[in-house]
Amino acid sequence: MRRKLWIGAITLALLISLGWGWNEYRLAGEYRLAGENNNRRALNDFASHLDQLETDLAKGNVASNPAQKILYLSQVSSKSEAALKDFAQIPAQQTGLSYVGQFLTQSGEFARILAQRVAGGGTITSEEETTLRDMHERLMPVNQQVQDLILRMDTEKLVWTDPDPSWRQRLGLGTQVAEAAADGSEAPSKSVSSGLDQLDASLQKLPPFSYTGEYATRVVAKPLGLPAGEVTKDQALEKARDFLSKIGYGDATPEFSGESQTELACYIFNYKESYLEVSRQGGAIVLYRDQRAIEPKTLRVEDASNKAKAILQALDWQQVAITSSEEFGSYVQFDAVYEKNGVRIYPDKVRLMIALDNGQLVGFDATPYYAFHHERTFPAKLTMEQAVRKLRPNFQVLESRLAVIPKSGNKEVYSYEFRGRYQGEEYLIYLNATNGAEEKIQRIIKTPRGEYLK
Amino acid sequence: MKVHIRHWRMVITIGLLLSITLSGFAYAALGDRLLGRGSKGSEVTELQKKLVQLGYAVGTVDGKYGSKTEAAIRRFQKEHGLRVDGLAGTQTIKELKRLTGQSTNASGKAVGYKNIDTNLLARAVNAEARGEPYIGQVAVAAVILNRIADPAFPKTVADIVYQPRAFSSVDDGQINLPPSASAMRAAQEAVTGSDPSGGALFFFNPAKTSNKYIWSRPQIKQIGNHMFTK
Repeated sequence: MRRKLWIGAITLALLISLGWGWNEYRLAGEYRLAGENNNRRALNDFASHLDQLETDLAKGNVASNPAQKILYLSQVSSKSEAALKDFAQIPAQQTGLSYVGQFLTQSGEFARILAQRVAGGGTITSEEETTLRDMHERLMPVNQQVQDLILRMDTEKLVWTDPDPSWRQRLGLGTQVAEAAADGSEAPSKSVSSGLDQLDASLQKLPPFSYTGEYATRVVAKPLGLPAGEVTKDQALEKARDFLSKIGYGDATPEFSGESQTELACYIFNYKESYLEVSRQGGAIVLYRDQRAIEPKTLRVEDASNKAKAILQALDWQQVAITSSEEFGSYVQFDAVYEKNGVRIYPDKVRLMIALDNGQLVGFDATPYYAFHHERTFPAKLTMEQAVRKLRPNFQVLESRLAVIPKSGNKEVYSYEFRGRYQGEEYLIYLNATNGAEEKIQRIIKTPRGEYLK
Repeated sequence: MKVHIRHWRMVITIGLLLSITLSGFAYAALGDRLLGRGSKGSEVTELQKKLVQLGYAVGTVDGKYGSKTEAAIRRFQKEHGLRVDGLAGTQTIKELKRLTGQSTNASGKAVGYKNIDTNLLARAVNAEARGEPYIGQVAVAAVILNRIADPAFPKTVADIVYQPRAFSSVDDGQINLPPSASAMRAAQEAVTGSDPSGGALFFFNPAKTSNKYIWSRPQIKQIGNHMFTK
């Protein structure tokens, strides 16, 4: 009797666990399929967008009428963006700098620049025509290889990523296949991911395109605003102590904690809860951040603004003026920009953070200032009246001034800044000071923290 | 019989009184009264939602002012320069309401929170750099933004964060944890232009990574446990 009961219980348990296991297996299969479908969709979309991109590039090359040229070039730009988005969703072994991505971004951007120019009545130089043809030439094999990958998925059962080496390979008994793709050799890929890696390697070997745009260069090659001469670690330490004493930490003993290796190389110091960077060239305080606990506030934002001005004086930064603020609860962040002869030079920016408990400086960042600051010469300009006439009708100007604004690709534009209203919205409109062309529009939004430009 | 009637009257009166006071509680707006340990009701739920929105975890949003809600209020008060007492009084609630409000355009029309990208960025920072110094958190947010500016990477925050194998915290689901207040602040600061990473495109923990590719990148600087590289 007892034995029967046991057998019954065990059988029941077995049946339940079988049912559970089968259900889990089925669910896992569904998830795998959903994932697989997503991957296939990304790859197919990628191939399709690449194919359209290739066609549009060809048409953009041959089109001679401006309207057609603008149409195809704009399509090149949107198709390359779409292809890049698909490409970013395809499973990969690891993510690094992608030359396929770079190629797509740059061809899209280049086409957009040309389209904008043609739309504005400009022309395309023969050199640019050559670059555009060159892009098409490079795209063709990429397109072919991606289509080939899709074909091989069906015929050779390609997997998405290379399998991890099996225990046989780990023991050195089998052959290593995973390594072949990484160095760009032409061994046939075993997975989609290594096939795309090979594409990447073949694009990497080609010389970069020559054009200037947002994505042509990203960082300044060399900081323009640092004082001359190298400083030693000890001299930098002295600079750090001096800075700390000026902001209320007398007799501070900062400790050296490392160096940074950028275009703007620095010595790094720590003192209590603060972090400080002193540039190797010129010994300037580039970055400072105090992470001390902040007590209940005793100051308002306006008081903090006055404190910020006083600190700028004390640190010998008279050349910059505060232009905006953002409240972060226990501290306020101020941006100050360089002003010369009434011209606001926005790229030369310094950021300060003032604690609202005692008005002490808790953050300072002069990286943009030191990266971009240099003596600028201003070209001949339109008068303010001429510039105002270039604005659209019904734009009610509230403020105006001259300014230098950064433009993508590390370029600067000397312009008139107009702050004004149009149909219930507030904007900043920048007109090129030399020719009155509209360079930039920013919409002003009031967030709980302060004004925000978008 | 008489006793019975009195009894009924009393039940009805008490019932009426109760329902009036309770509905008063239920419909009371946040900020009408001081909330503290033991408070309950829809106001507490609203309070908890606002705390979570700003990155102060309260456990579950259940309308009960318990120890976790009190701790969240204390942290909020500390980080916003308010007197730290663990009670949600006028000042604290006013500040919470202000910070969780929508953005407006020049004529005062609400235009949404305008923080979709910052929010995802904050999640990534929270998942990747929890426990790192604040400046290291800003640097992680800056790396993602630097990638947008680099031709070799996708062009939106979501595309970069969810790129396969780009962030381990996406693979293990930590990206879905609600971001902390400091991660939100760090993301916000990076969006407005701070980049303590020095233009980095990658970061990794040298103690935990053996990946050859990442070690081959030119190193810029170390902040906390993270090495930032080009």
